[in-house]
Amino acid sequence: MSTGPQSPEPPRIGVDEWVASSEERRARSVADRLQERLERTPAAAKLVALALPFAIFPLLVDSDYLKQVGIDTLIFVLLALGLNVAVGWVGLLDLGFVAFFGLGAYLYASVASEYAGRHWEAQFAVPAIAIAVAAAGFLVGLPSRRLVGDYLAIVTLFFLQIWLVVLINASFTRGPNGISDIYPLKLFGREIVSLNGYYYVTFAAFVVIVSFLYLLGRSRTGRAWRAVREDELAAELMTMPVNRLKLMAFAVGAGIAGVAGALFAPAQGAVFPASFDIVLLITVYAMVVLGGAGSLFGVTVGAVLINASLEALRDPDDASWLFYGVVVLALILLMRPRWLPVAVLGATAVFGVVVHEVAEQVRPSLVSGTTFGTASVDRLVDSWVLVPEGAVGPDGLPAGALARLAYIGLIAAILALTLIRSPLWRAIALVPVLYLTFCVWENILLAQPAVARFVLIGAMLVALMAVRPQGLFGKQRVEVV
Amino acid sequence: MRKALFVVGLAGLVAAAVVTAAVARPAAQAAPAQVAACTNVSLGFLGPLTGPAGFLGQEQLSWLRFGVQKYNRAEGTRFKVVLGDTQLKAPVARTVARRFASDRNVMAVIGGSESQAVRVSGKLFQAASLASVSGSATAIDLTKGRPYRTFFRVIPNDAIQGPDIINFVSRNLKARNVVIIDSQDDYSVPLSSAVARGLRARNVNVGRESVAADDTDFSSVVANVGSNVTVVIFATQVATAANTLSNQLREQGKRAIVFGTDGAYSPSQFKPRSGYVSVFAPDLHFDPRARAVIREYRRFVSKDTSGAFGPATYMAAWVAMSAIERACADGTATRAEVVRQLRRTNSPSIIGPNIRFDAKGDLRGGGAFVIYRITNGKYAAIR
Amino acid sequence: MDWDKLVQLIVNGLTLGSVYALVALGFSMVYGILKLLNLAHGDVLMIGAFIGWGVLGWLGGAQDPVVAVWLLIVLMILAAMVGGGFLGVAIERFAYRPLRRAPRIAPLISALGVSFFIQNSVLLLFGANFRSYESFDLVDVEVGVSVGPLNIWILRIVVMAAALAMMLGLWILVTRTKLGKAMRATAFDREAAAMMGIDVDRVIVKTFFIGSALAGAAGVLVGLVFGSINHFMGFGYGLKGFTAAVVGGIGSIPGAMFGGLFIGLAEAFSVGYIEDLTRGRLGSAFSDLVVFLILVIFMLVRPQGIFGKPEVKKV
Repeated sequence: MSTGPQSPEPPRIGVDEWVASSEERRARSVADRLQERLERTPAAAKLVALALPFAIFPLLVDSDYLKQVGIDTLIFVLLALGLNVAVGWVGLLDLGFVAFFGLGAYLYASVASEYAGRHWEAQFAVPAIAIAVAAAGFLVGLPSRRLVGDYLAIVTLFFLQIWLVVLINASFTRGPNGISDIYPLKLFGREIVSLNGYYYVTFAAFVVIVSFLYLLGRSRTGRAWRAVREDELAAELMTMPVNRLKLMAFAVGAGIAGVAGALFAPAQGAVFPASFDIVLLITVYAMVVLGGAGSLFGVTVGAVLINASLEALRDPDDASWLFYGVVVLALILLMRPRWLPVAVLGATAVFGVVVHEVAEQVRPSLVSGTTFGTASVDRLVDSWVLVPEGAVGPDGLPAGALARLAYIGLIAAILALTLIRSPLWRAIALVPVLYLTFCVWENILLAQPAVARFVLIGAMLVALMAVRPQGLFGKQRVEVV
Repeated sequence: MRKALFVVGLAGLVAAAVVTAAVARPAAQAAPAQVAACTNVSLGFLGPLTGPAGFLGQEQLSWLRFGVQKYNRAEGTRFKVVLGDTQLKAPVARTVARRFASDRNVMAVIGGSESQAVRVSGKLFQAASLASVSGSATAIDLTKGRPYRTFFRVIPNDAIQGPDIINFVSRNLKARNVVIIDSQDDYSVPLSSAVARGLRARNVNVGRESVAADDTDFSSVVANVGSNVTVVIFATQVATAANTLSNQLREQGKRAIVFGTDGAYSPSQFKPRSGYVSVFAPDLHFDPRARAVIREYRRFVSKDTSGAFGPATYMAAWVAMSAIERACADGTATRAEVVRQLRRTNSPSIIGPNIRFDAKGDLRGGGAFVIYRITNGKYAAIR
Repeated sequence: MDWDKLVQLIVNGLTLGSVYALVALGFSMVYGILKLLNLAHGDVLMIGAFIGWGVLGWLGGAQDPVVAVWLLIVLMILAAMVGGGFLGVAIERFAYRPLRRAPRIAPLISALGVSFFIQNSVLLLFGANFRSYESFDLVDVEVGVSVGPLNIWILRIVVMAAALAMMLGLWILVTRTKLGKAMRATAFDREAAAMMGIDVDRVIVKTFFIGSALAGAAGVLVGLVFGSINHFMGFGYGLKGFTAAVVGGIGSIPGAMFGGLFIGLAEAFSVGYIEDLTRGRLGSAFSDLVVFLILVIFMLVRPQGIFGKPEVKKV
């Protein structure tokens, strides 16, 4: 333990001066201020702030697609909330989490589908599934509880693999064909068939779960969980039942994933083994980590942000707006002093014009192609970035070595940029890197937005861990060595 | 006190939500009469552009884009393509399908490429009266009993392929001992089971093996293949896998040859000394009548890596575009009109006889699979 | 008893096992020094495989190589080792080093991100199609060594020999050289090693380079012997390699070698015999379960592995 500067007042119990003053020692960023303001907001206000946009969303949109995205988003929020229990509160890396989601979905299929020949009502089915999946979480946690950190991660990952092998090959799950004749939710005798109906049922589940988690997080158990996360040994010495606490976290998280699965299955009308894979797992992790592991508000916002971006990135038009918007916004928020981002963007614009002009004179083929993007912003930059003829084939893959080298060069350049210490030089070096980024975006990433979004998620996870491991709304944890 | 308030407020919210859910009326099932101006019409592409079957979707997409460009030039139209990547995942396919259904400019969908995508999107498209034309979904249940009334396909289905394989293996190859390997996906398992049943009914000894979809080593499965086995049927989506399998059979001195299905078709990647492959559409590279199309396609892509999967999607797009154009003859069109026009399709095809649909949305007369014999890596169509 | 089949399965298992062992070594070395589970290790293998594939294409392809076949293979492996090594160093420098003092969960999430990033980047640049090494055109499968009734393809032997040679080289490096001593000291106690004047950061970088170079080489070996590669292959090999490292005893070099061979053989035998043993109830589809069960059992019964020493927790 550290000993902080001696204070004249008697120390308050449970508060470490050094830790408490850590905030003052750090430079505060925009996100920090956001987080502080959030902390001062009363819980009820936060709940309303969270629930209200969700509650009115279907009234605002007309398109079935957006409503479907809304349902998907709520399901993702539930998943992120569930994962947050183990990862955010107890600090256990659970890589088998999506298996519980799958279990919930398949359990629903087994109590309400033509295949099963049953149709349970949701008010019985969903709680029963939650309890059953929580029990499964408990069982998986049982052998894992002795395993610390990394071993736990890998054992849970193997459980996920086992689960997938069984799903794909067992006959009672109908193997890779999945179960595609699932009955709709039946609530108190009424079948729910409309998208709005599914939306509000999922929303109700969200409100119940987020409130449950809020109360749980402030309870004795919740505080004990955080104590285990901060220092397992110390927690054990304080006579906390560490193993039991971990098992509880597993079970609670699994139960929530089970509810998400039980709502997902009827909303989809079908379940397939391939839906519960590593990509989903990493997406949910990205949600939890971006929003801020440990903060209910944070993970909810993280889930919404990530799912909305993933959807927007599906379409090259929206993707470009999002991309340029985020880049400019990030520059403005992250760079100090205020005029610097403006200078950098201006310099990039000039740099681009010069490069484009030179390229056109030297080798016209370097600029004669057209970008994949059709948004107005793409047309705007089309005569500014280098778009070589035939750099990317119509199949969306880079056709020549040049495009691949540009992509790899961009990664190297961004990594090198992080090594430059002097802010001035970094800003100067940023100009060509930014231009290269835009070129790569227009040529390679935009040709396959569906892949590009996962590339961006991977990069975001790494960058976030290095820069702001607590996420947007998480609280900075002070490591006491 | 605050806690109590909190809980009460919560209960109120939940109650309100549940009531709303219960009261919410089902959206009108009849599709809104969607009138498009015919000047800004898109085709949605519903297929796997990424993920383990990304190569299939990419090949189809490139032929689709080729077809759209060609059609636009020939007819002076301005069709566009909207991408919908399914990642080979059902929930994603469903979300993408919703997007197409909500997008007023999308007048027809090309796909779903995989049968699973059709299963999760079929009802949605039907509710939106949106036509979908697939160039590769071969599962039988997609048209059996006409579950999705706006679904069409320009290729034969597995009800044709299964018996074709069974006949060919038992009659032409006179195999008495056969091993069938599936690759644990929704395409391969039903086909393998159907073929196994059919062969057993003809008193052929059938052994079953199974490998994961992304496996690359089959040497231990090959060790299970008896020395009396003459044919190994491999229902796979990966041509290099079929190639490795046939070579590992030879490495271990087994005399069995590989009979691959659909995905195994690839003259550049599946090159056994001796083997067979059945595929839902012919490879135009071997068809002297299609030389002009292939030449044009090569100019379009600069590097032609395609095989048998693209041209069917090209045809799917072609019949869809002509149906839309016919529906647009009076300046505007509804999706339902497009579906009606599609039913009346009678279009010359680059992949076989004229395309006409039967009442179920299948090819009239069923169509036929093409079986290729491979000798020293050289392909020759035998039917 | 079908002895031919048994011997054949042993050959298959040893081929797979030697690849797993190479992967396991990298896992084991990094874990030994940093106590860090490098979840991106499998993707280094995948990148190595693609580098080898690129070299192969650059040198004329399998049908028409411009250099002798043995030289081609050596060049492919060397290029993949160098490329893989530098990739490993870059991952360490940018994804793990900033997180040395962070909570333990942070580098793991970072590793997930790296893995996801690399896989999807390759997907973006090369597509989802399987890429063929065309190794069956490079060397025909009937060229080989006869062992009784069996014919073992020469590339299989090359793969096993190359893996063995690299493992021996590593063993000598770790036990006989100064760097090896520094690595062992760092693994034993990082702070004490730093106090003894060992440049810990450099040792870590070199460890990452060596471990990742082995993974890169393993990627080429996989491509050569099985003929095809894709962007997702790293996941499976990473998982099996990790299992091998745990079974052998994580942190132990002979343990990783033994564990690799053990897992390879287990996999081959489970494919070969699972149907007989379960009387047809479970087919070869379930063979992966056997490997996973081995891991779980080891984790629970003997977490320190066969060659490992039980960890004493210092407080």
